[in-house]
Amino acid sequence: MGKLVGTLLVVSLVSLPVFAAAPPLGQLALPSLESLEPQAKDSVSISLDASLLAVAARFLDSGQPEDRAVKEIIAGLQGVYVRSFTFDHAFVYPANAIDSLRKQLHTACWQSIMSVRKGNEDSTVDIFICQLQQKARGLAIIAVEPRELTIVNIVGAIDLDKLHRLEGHFGIPRLPEAK
Amino acid sequence: MNEEFDEQLRRALRPVDPGEAFTARVLARISPEPRNLRVRWRRAAWIPAALAASALLAVVGLHEWQQRQKEAGLAARTQVLEALRVTSQKLDLAYRLINTSSRPASDRDSGA
Repeated sequence: MGKLVGTLLVVSLVSLPVFAAAPPLGQLALPSLESLEPQAKDSVSISLDASLLAVAARFLDSGQPEDRAVKEIIAGLQGVYVRSFTFDHAFVYPANAIDSLRKQLHTACWQSIMSVRKGNEDSTVDIFICQLQQKARGLAIIAVEPRELTIVNIVGAIDLDKLHRLEGHFGIPRLPEAK
Repeated sequence: MNEEFDEQLRRALRPVDPGEAFTARVLARISPEPRNLRVRWRRAAWIPAALAASALLAVVGLHEWQQRQKEAGLAARTQVLEALRVTSQKLDLAYRLINTSSRPASDRDSGA
């Protein structure tokens, strides 16, 4: 009996960090794109987890309409991750890294809501949403342009209506009606 | 024999006045209280100084911590706005691509 309790205790202690470290549903393991950085003219790397979003929210002024709208949007989020690279010239497309990312988007909760390929502009934009029990748990965007590569992963309850309200601010366009 | 011994003992143990000088010396040796107190006070004087220094350190530390929190918060705010800007740009690109690719088709559908 004592051995059993001891074993259970050890197993639970060993597995505790595994459960604690499990990423929330809707969070992708973004590939390392460090090789692109030296080639890039500009690069943006943003990693905001839930605690940093909470800190950011404290510095958004609810008295300002734009800040209030942003605050409402990030209130339901658990993470915002952006990798964006802008180049002066055509860049070497990191096929392996993007393929590994796309593989993650084939798992249960993810579904493609928009996939646009424009041959003459040589641009593609794929938008995926992770849904569980009809609630959005994550958003992913992979945008490849001739001189730009952008990956966005927003984790958490994304309210498209609230994004609607941000229309006009930060250049956010009108989204299609959520069904 | 015993009486003689008793007498000798009585004489040896008779009260003798030590004199004022001796009394003064003894008193001076056994009760130096005022000087001791001064020394103690002097030794204890570092306590309020240490308390004041600790309070000052705590205030400076708190201010520094608040300043760092504020900087981290403002940086996080900037990153949130930047992330939303990039996201909106890419959503905008998607809609632009959809619109430019669907417009000719819709024109054809209208038969105009």
